[in-house]
Amino acid sequence: MISQPLDKQLPHGVADLFFNDAARKRALERTVAETFARWGYSEIIPPMFEYYESLAAEAGPQLREEMYRFFDRDGRTLALRADLTIPIARIVGTKLFDRAMPLRFFYVGSVFRYEEPQAGVRREFTQAGIELIGAATADADAEALALAMTALRAMGLDDFRFTLGNAAYLQATMRGLALDDADALALREAIRRKNTPELTRLLDAFDLDPARRRALAQLPALWGGAEVLDRAECVNDDARAAIERLRQVLARLVHFDLQAFVTLDLAENRGMEYYTGILFEGFVQGIGFAVVSGGRYDKLIAHFGADLPAVGFAIGIERIMMAHQARASIAPDVIAQEYGAPVAAARANGRIVEVDVLNRADAALREYARIRGAREIWWRDGRVEALL
Amino acid sequence: MTPLKIALAKGRLLNPSIQLLESLGYDVRSAKDSRRLVIDDVARGARFLIAKPMDVPIYVEYGAADVGIVGQDALREGGVQVYEPLVLDYGHCRLVVAGKPEFRGAEWKMLAGLRVATKYPRVAKKYFDARGLSVETIEVYGSVELAPAVGLADLIVDVVDTGRTLRENGLVELDEIFKSQAALIVNRAAHTLRVNEIRALIEKIDGTRMNADKG
Repeated sequence: MISQPLDKQLPHGVADLFFNDAARKRALERTVAETFARWGYSEIIPPMFEYYESLAAEAGPQLREEMYRFFDRDGRTLALRADLTIPIARIVGTKLFDRAMPLRFFYVGSVFRYEEPQAGVRREFTQAGIELIGAATADADAEALALAMTALRAMGLDDFRFTLGNAAYLQATMRGLALDDADALALREAIRRKNTPELTRLLDAFDLDPARRRALAQLPALWGGAEVLDRAECVNDDARAAIERLRQVLARLVHFDLQAFVTLDLAENRGMEYYTGILFEGFVQGIGFAVVSGGRYDKLIAHFGADLPAVGFAIGIERIMMAHQARASIAPDVIAQEYGAPVAAARANGRIVEVDVLNRADAALREYARIRGAREIWWRDGRVEALL
Repeated sequence: MTPLKIALAKGRLLNPSIQLLESLGYDVRSAKDSRRLVIDDVARGARFLIAKPMDVPIYVEYGAADVGIVGQDALREGGVQVYEPLVLDYGHCRLVVAGKPEFRGAEWKMLAGLRVATKYPRVAKKYFDARGLSVETIEVYGSVELAPAVGLADLIVDVVDTGRTLRENGLVELDEIFKSQAALIVNRAAHTLRVNEIRALIEKIDGTRMNADKG
C-alpha cells in the first residue's frame, strides 16, 4: 500500500477551527473566564510542556500512559501537559506556597492526550477550570461545585445535573483490607460500574467481616437523593466523616439554590490515586458523557513541597460546544412519506416530523431527506430507513 | 419529554429481550419485523433501537441510547465506560479459547507467534497479554471456527453455547475466558439526568426476575 502524502492532512484527534466554530469557542472561553474572575479567581498560565518527571509525578497510570513525550537536545524527557491541575500544583508547591491562603486560580487552555479519539475526546482539547488551594473546608468544596454549575449556566446550559461522591468514603471502607492490587482494582471497578453481580462474586471470594461486607455490597445502590447518606454503612470514623462532609456540602449548596441539581453517588471512585475527598461530574442533556469533572485532591501539592489541600474542576470546552450543537439542530428527526397515526404519535412524543407534500419519487425523497439532515425516512409501506 | 432510548441487541438475545420488555408492559410488537430498526412506544415514552450486539455498548456509552440490553461478551469486547447494574437470566454462553486437539494441555502456552482468529480481538489480546504471550490476532467477522481448519490461525477465541460447532470443526476447548449472559447497561449521563426513570426501569426488571426466581 502506498501511503498518502501527509503534507495536506491532519493527524487524528486535532481540528482546525474557523468562522463560526472559532468565534463560538472564543466566546465560550471569554464567558467562562469572566465567570471565574467574578468569583475572585485570577488567571494562571502554565507552560505548554515541561519535564515529564513533573507532569507524571502524581498522575495516575492511565494519564501517564496518555502523555505526549519527547526529548530535548540533552536527552531529557519532556511532555505536553495532559491537564492543568498538575502544572498548577507544581507552581504553587514550588513558588506560591507562602502566600496568603486560599489561592484562587482559573485557567483556559489546551491539553494533550494520546488516546483513541471518540466523540468529544480529542488529542488536543481545551479545558477551562479552577483550583481553590489552601482550604480543606466544606465551604471550599461547595464553592467549587457551585461555581462549576454557575459556569455551565453562564455558557447557556441550564439543564445540567451533577453527580457527587466522596472518594474518602470508599478509601476508608477499604482501609486495611488484605487484598492485592489486582483484587482491589477489580473491587473498585465492579463498584464503579455498579456491577452488583460481579461485586457479590468478588465479596464472596474475599472473606470479609460482616460490617465491611455490607458496606461494600450496598455501594452500587447508593445513588440518588440525600437519603443515600442515611443508608450508607460506616465501618470507621473516617467513613463517617466522609458521609458527614457530603451532608455539609449539600447543606451549603442550599445557599446557592443548587441542591436540586445534585445526584449523590457513593460508588464513583475514578482517579483513586488522586482524589482524597469529594468528587463530582457534570452532565447536560443531549451529551452522553461528563462535560465537567472535578474533586478534592489534598495530597497532590505536597509532592511539590508544600502540604496544601485543594479542590478544583475542569470543563471540556469542546463538549460544551457539542452540547450547543445538539441543541441548535433544526433538522427533522423524521421525513415521512405520508400522514398517519405514527406521524401524529411521533410528534406527540416530541420528535420533529416533516411529511412530504410534493409526492417525490423514492430516490428524490431520499436525497431530500439527506439534504435536510433527517435521521430517518418513514416509507409508505411502514419501512423505517435510518440515515447516517 | 424525550423518550427513554433503549438499545436492544439483535440476534439470539432479541426475542428474550422482547419478552422481558413485554412482561414489563412495553409495546414492542413491531420489533419482530426484522426491518424495523427504531420502534416507538409513545404511550410509555420509550424508543427502542435494534442494533448489532457489538454496537449496543457503543450506543450506550455515547448516549445515543440511555440504556441497553446486550451480552456481556459484546460488553467486554467494547471496553466501554457504562454502568452495568443487572444481569438478566438469558443469553448464557461462554467465551473460550479453542484449537485443534493437539493443543490440549498446556503446551500451546509455550508456543511463540501463535495466530488467533476471533470476533473479540480486545478480549483475546487482554487474555493473552495477561499470560505474557505475544500473539497475532486476526479479526474475522464470521465462521471463526473455520480458521484453524484452513490454516488461517492456530487458535480461536469465540463464544460457545453447546460446543457442537467446535466438535463439528474438529476443535476442542482449551480454556474458558469468562461466562457471559445478557446484561442491562446504562449510560453514565442518563443515569443522573434521568435518575427516576432509570431507577424505575431497573427496579421493574429486578422485580420480574425475583418473581421468576420464586416461580
